[in-house]
Amino acid sequence: MSLKHVWIVFSKEIKDMARDKRTLISNILIPIILMPLVFTLMGGGISKMEKDIVENVTVALSQASDTPEIRDLVADIFSDNPNIKILDPVADPVEAVRNDRIRFVLDVEKDFAEKMNQGKPFHITVTFDQTDTKSGGSYGIITNAIEQYAQKVTEDRLTKMNIDVSILRPIEILNEDASPEKGGGNLMLMMILPMLATILIAVGGIPAATDLVAGEKERGTFEPLLTTQANRMSILFGKYLAVTLFAIICVVAQLIGVFIGNIVSPTFLTMGVPGADLKFHIPTLALLLTILITVTLGMVFAGLQLAVSTYARSFKEAQTYMSFLMLIAMLPAYATMIMQPDDVKLFMFFIPLLNAIASLKLVLGNTINYSYLGIALVSSLVYVFISLILAASMFKKEKVLFRS
Amino acid sequence: MLELKELTKHFGEVKAVDRVSFRVERGEVFGLLGENGAGKTTTLRLLATMLKPTSGTAVVAGFDMVKEPEKVRKHIGILFGGESGLYDRLTAAENIEYFGKLNNMDKDELKRRVQELTEIFGMGEYIHRKTGKFSKGMKQKVAFARSIVHNPDIMLFDEPTSGLDVSAIRDVHDFIMDCKKAGKTIILSSHTMSEVEKLCDKIGIIHKGQLADYGTIPQLTAKYKESSLEEVFIKLVGEKI
Ligand SMILES: Nc1ncnc2c1ncn2[C@@H]1O[C@H](COP(=O)(O)OP(=O)(O)OP(=O)(O)O)[C@@H](O)[C@H]1O
Ligand SMILES: [Mg+2]
Repeated sequence: MSLKHVWIVFSKEIKDMARDKRTLISNILIPIILMPLVFTLMGGGISKMEKDIVENVTVALSQASDTPEIRDLVADIFSDNPNIKILDPVADPVEAVRNDRIRFVLDVEKDFAEKMNQGKPFHITVTFDQTDTKSGGSYGIITNAIEQYAQKVTEDRLTKMNIDVSILRPIEILNEDASPEKGGGNLMLMMILPMLATILIAVGGIPAATDLVAGEKERGTFEPLLTTQANRMSILFGKYLAVTLFAIICVVAQLIGVFIGNIVSPTFLTMGVPGADLKFHIPTLALLLTILITVTLGMVFAGLQLAVSTYARSFKEAQTYMSFLMLIAMLPAYATMIMQPDDVKLFMFFIPLLNAIASLKLVLGNTINYSYLGIALVSSLVYVFISLILAASMFKKEKVLFRS
Repeated sequence: MLELKELTKHFGEVKAVDRVSFRVERGEVFGLLGENGAGKTTTLRLLATMLKPTSGTAVVAGFDMVKEPEKVRKHIGILFGGESGLYDRLTAAENIEYFGKLNNMDKDELKRRVQELTEIFGMGEYIHRKTGKFSKGMKQKVAFARSIVHNPDIMLFDEPTSGLDVSAIRDVHDFIMDCKKAGKTIILSSHTMSEVEKLCDKIGIIHKGQLADYGTIPQLTAKYKESSLEEVFIKLVGEKI
């Protein structure tokens, strides 16, 4: 192998790809534009949902319990919650809740005043739709208000009996948060970043790989290329580096998209919590290891893609095989999307794709484990080697290279 | 200049090239005439060191093709097939330079050579334009220039006119004759009788991987007592069936 020839092939392929406007637009420009768009749309949706849960809570009494006293009671209970709107009573609570006309319907026992005076408990039945995200989210607000009211009643009673309120609270729990500093936004990033990065590094090289061998064969430039003084391995390696670089560029484009997206719509990554910073304290070594693991994953797939592109009888056939490779990359990435860093298992670091996903999750979740990262990198390098051998053996197979 | 010694290539059961031996002297044009599947392309791919022979060898420009394939490649240029494959997004000059660089030409040498080729083929107007939108004729000239950028002594042409229209065929024939005039040794495969008659000094008739016979047209017609090359061909190929 001659490094000079590798470089000549590599730089020609890069120049060639840099002039391929269609591929550039779909692989680099579109992610940069699309990500901010997705962030704005989805981020807007999440903020609106959050706002709805907190601010637009609607409550009504059942018609059965619609008496002046109960109305007073309810007004009293929610007096501290200006966001809770009390609407007109409804005849059929279940129907009203199911049809989203109202989020909560309260049914209060008619003789509640009597029971309260006698110091007996009375019932308030809350009808709501637990499967509805908004109702489920606002449920706590309603029950909190009721419990606070109940507490106030208790305190009044005790005061009347000249008993100190603190007798009811023998222990007061104080919390101290010892968790590492996690920005609220890391959660979302932990979900989407490993997925995006691994899928993109794995599929990013596909257009280049398809073009660089299957495409050359089809256009009739491949045979002349093989009769130059560059040997086959130099040609393969030059192309291999070009495919890898293209995959890396795709990931970088996507990251730029995410970055811009976060500027345009800062509430998306923080799941609607405005101002919650994206906080990362990733040590340089861990960052470096993760980048290396991701890049080596790109190299594994570049090798596979070139092998497939060489094996294929035609450009079309190559594209078909590539879509299988794409599927292989996407399945584990989607399957582990919601996996938390704590759920990452040791075996994952030995398996291609999963090792990159798991490493990214660890590092983004601030739970860095260098032996795990080391395993991921070493196993990844082994796979790079295997995929290169596969590509090289395809590139040496006369039956594959020259079939027509 | 070029000598095949029992050159053999099997693809599994198929004996694509079967113990083929012949010599081509410097400056000669040798025509390989054969039907579809006779083994012409395989023979030329072997000589171009794209394929490794199953057995036998060839000495090309003084180098054994099995032992020193890279040295052999330095001395050969190829033009395979009718359509000229180019990199559409590269300019004509870049297409030619790419092959020059891969053939270890240095910068100044290459620059001079591209200029020279531009003049030879009259590509001045479009040498720095991308080849994607070129006419067939323009592309063909670039492909010609590319095949001889490193000034090879030996040219291999595999059915260079298949699928081309009349004027393009003429251009190819002119190019081959120019190569001959420049003293290059040429092997040309074809299944067109007239093409071989027009261009070649010697002709080898290849059938089912074996070289049935070879020589000049007068030699062959005299030997087989036939009036034309076509008759000889039918006699040789027919006999074997
Ligand atoms: N890469 C390959 N793998 C397997 N068999 C092959 C391969 N290349 C050629 N063959 C077989 O070898 C034989 C000779 O093929 P070759 O292409 O050399 O013939 P040809 O004379 O060039 O024919 P044509 O006029 O069709 O181009 C055929 O039977 C062909 O099927
Ligand atoms: Mg052929």
